[in-house]
Amino acid sequence: MGLRSFFDRIEPQFTKGGKYEKYFPVYEMVESFLYTPKTVTTAAPHARSYIDMKRIMTYVVLATVPCVLFALYNTGLQTNLAIAEFGASGWRAGIIEALGIGFNPANPIANMLHGLLYFLPIYIVTLLAGGAWEVLFATMRRHEVNEGFLVTSMLYTLILPASTPLWQVALGISFGVVIGKEVFGGTGKNFLNPALVGRAFLYFAYPAYMSGDTIWTPVDGFSGATALAVTASEGPAALPGYGITWMDSFVGTIQGSMGETSTIACLLGLAFLLATRIANYRMVVGCLVGMIAFSSLLNWIGSDSNPAFATPWYWHLVMGGYAFGLVFMVTEPVSGSHTNLGRYIYGALIGFMVVMIRVVNPAFPEGMMLAILFGNVFAPLIDYFVVQANIRRRARRNA
Amino acid sequence: MAQTYRSMLIDPMVDNNPITLQVLGICSALAVTSSLKVALVMAIAVTLVTAFSSMFISVLRSQIPSSIRIIVQMIIIASLVIVVDQVLKAYAYEISKTLSVFVGLIITNCIVMGRAEAFAMKNPPFASFVDGVGNGLGYGLILMLVGFFRELFGSGSLFGVTILPTVNNGGWYVPNGLLLLPPSAFFVIGLLIWAFRTWKPEQVEEREYSIQAVEAH
Amino acid sequence: MPDQDTQINTSKNPIRRFLDASPDGTAKTVTVALGLCLVASMVVSAAAVALRPLQERNAALDKQVNIIQVAGLYEQGIDVAKSFEAFEPHVLELSTGEFTDQFDPYKFDDRAAADDLTLSIPLQDDPASIGRQAKYVTVYLLRDADGALDKVILPVYGYGLWSTLYGFIAIEEDGNTIYGLQFYDQAETPGLGAEVDNPRWKALWRDKKLRTEDGAGELAITVAKSPPPEGRDYYVDALSGATLTSRGVDNLVRFWMSERGFEPFLKRVRAGDI
Repeated sequence: MGLRSFFDRIEPQFTKGGKYEKYFPVYEMVESFLYTPKTVTTAAPHARSYIDMKRIMTYVVLATVPCVLFALYNTGLQTNLAIAEFGASGWRAGIIEALGIGFNPANPIANMLHGLLYFLPIYIVTLLAGGAWEVLFATMRRHEVNEGFLVTSMLYTLILPASTPLWQVALGISFGVVIGKEVFGGTGKNFLNPALVGRAFLYFAYPAYMSGDTIWTPVDGFSGATALAVTASEGPAALPGYGITWMDSFVGTIQGSMGETSTIACLLGLAFLLATRIANYRMVVGCLVGMIAFSSLLNWIGSDSNPAFATPWYWHLVMGGYAFGLVFMVTEPVSGSHTNLGRYIYGALIGFMVVMIRVVNPAFPEGMMLAILFGNVFAPLIDYFVVQANIRRRARRNA
Repeated sequence: MAQTYRSMLIDPMVDNNPITLQVLGICSALAVTSSLKVALVMAIAVTLVTAFSSMFISVLRSQIPSSIRIIVQMIIIASLVIVVDQVLKAYAYEISKTLSVFVGLIITNCIVMGRAEAFAMKNPPFASFVDGVGNGLGYGLILMLVGFFRELFGSGSLFGVTILPTVNNGGWYVPNGLLLLPPSAFFVIGLLIWAFRTWKPEQVEEREYSIQAVEAH
Repeated sequence: MPDQDTQINTSKNPIRRFLDASPDGTAKTVTVALGLCLVASMVVSAAAVALRPLQERNAALDKQVNIIQVAGLYEQGIDVAKSFEAFEPHVLELSTGEFTDQFDPYKFDDRAAADDLTLSIPLQDDPASIGRQAKYVTVYLLRDADGALDKVILPVYGYGLWSTLYGFIAIEEDGNTIYGLQFYDQAETPGLGAEVDNPRWKALWRDKKLRTEDGAGELAITVAKSPPPEGRDYYVDALSGATLTSRGVDNLVRFWMSERGFEPFLKRVRAGDI
């Protein structure tokens, strides 16, 4: 255990009175990333649980693994398909040619590698830029660096289009971490999901890079509409004309942000989160019911001028970021509601809003991001009313 | 006199700024700060209205019946605002088109009413005038700061002069579209308040509660 | 202090007595309120009346600047009123394409006419989303030195994503070639739809054709993401990231250039009648 003894040797320098006392958070971050934390609950009356924050965060990161793998595959697949038509250029193509792997879209290894070359730079920039802010605030506030950022950075990377310029990646995550989280006191006090705040910032700041038909696959000249863009303008009936079947959308071999195209990968993650009870099923149920109920209502009402009214719920489920948001964002415990009844309402509100924005608002074809942020803002209010109702009921009972 | 004229002018800049400390007049600060030129005209308009309405109200203060006090103040402020609006339409048509309804809304700007009610009703005319100028300038200072960031990073220019050539015009700078939308002023003002309070910690409100240490039993 | 009170109340000067009276009495409240209203209304009306000529001139100049700009004659610092004398305003009856003398073209208010029930018709099929269309509009003719027609400037408007876009389109003397399109009033998304104001995008309109076969064929001009089958002469690239604003511009240009818009008039231009 050479490493352990190294940590033991340098630790006194970081503890109170040591030479680098100020940098204790950095030391603690590296040390507890590699080993279990030393500060554990020992005395009664604390209940002991094997679940601590580190484990929760690790589990969420584990749950994203299917999405990450599929993100690599699909990003590579879409890029290689487009390259077959428009030709390859750039440093990534240089690396792939140097390795002699080629751009064959039928070869999963080639796809994975090409996807990795897009995913990795974005992920590394996210970690560096966001991590720098985390460490800065932890050092200033003299608390430990929180593992929550591992989750935030992974989710943030997965909801970006593969063509996002790296400086925008850095700017977005900086905004997400600072404005979405640190100004409110850091992890656990953020009422918005920081990954989504960063994404929303980019969406409004650089709309030409975050929406449209040309950004989803990073090949010059390529243009491919997302299923959402098609339904928003021409209705779901037009989808087969663009070569998008429900099964493609469910599996995820379609245009979209890197990690959110595959519904099946998201559902695998959901199964894992529910089995380990990290995610609260009430929010998931609420969000599904809200979406299904409202989209069915719109189907029933119908509209002559807006073809998106006809979008059935099973299409809403597999299009855009709905599945990804449902699994990893709606269930996020800090920014959601904290009462059990409130969680149903919170989920249903998001399910309702996402359909509302997608179908009725002409400016935004995708609504999941905005719907979740909207839900985040309302979560404390929902909790307040649930608690008040509970107080009134009890008061009546005991009157 | 509790305050010198100097402090009446200087205090509203940072120590008692109407926007960052009193958090008044936010509406117009959101709406008119996407370009510096418009922000400057708005700042001048608000300064004039605040100064002169405070002065007139102060002149009349012993004659104003308390039962219709607010209405009287409103009439004076509204008349001044309409005059300012008419003058802008006559002499600065382009800018008045961008400012549109927000000149009219100076009437409801809390800073003007706030100074009239809190200061001009109790102080002599010249002091009220100076206080109005000070608060108008404090408001203008923040407007200009917000406008500076929004125009520079949102359109790549300052006072309409290109500083960062944008991609759409063949340059390299990708303008930040969020800064052109009014809500972005919330972020900029929030960050300014943060910066002011880091610089002047006495502006931070006291906590409404405190966590007490309890001895172990 | 009874001493002082008596002194005040017995003052001979009525103004002094009024000023010294308690402001909360009913009589004084009413007097102050009335007096203030009177003074305030005089100040406000004086300002409005005195400045009105200047304001009207500004509004007119603003419109003239836009017309001069769309015709490509604008330079920084020109005398707008003088340059505008080159333009001949006419009130046009849309359905016939004939000029009318019913209205003074310098006074005719296009926007008011579109809301006037007697001067406008409701639209059933309404691609530009304007609700009612005026029967009469003001158009401007630009002639060259010999009096031959150089350009016609036609007002167009229609709904984009968030706002109604008002603008002018300048057509060459052949009645089929676009010289320029300019919007002077719009509130589209900054950075996306508002790029309709971008000079680089506006430059795309230059020399595009409205109709095939030098005007005899079908209306083909379009704002789209890819060229129409008729070819690039009829195609303006849509604004990137602003699908709905681009569609709005497409709809409004096609609407105003159609039979229900200026086509009867443009026919006459093509025939050389103007």
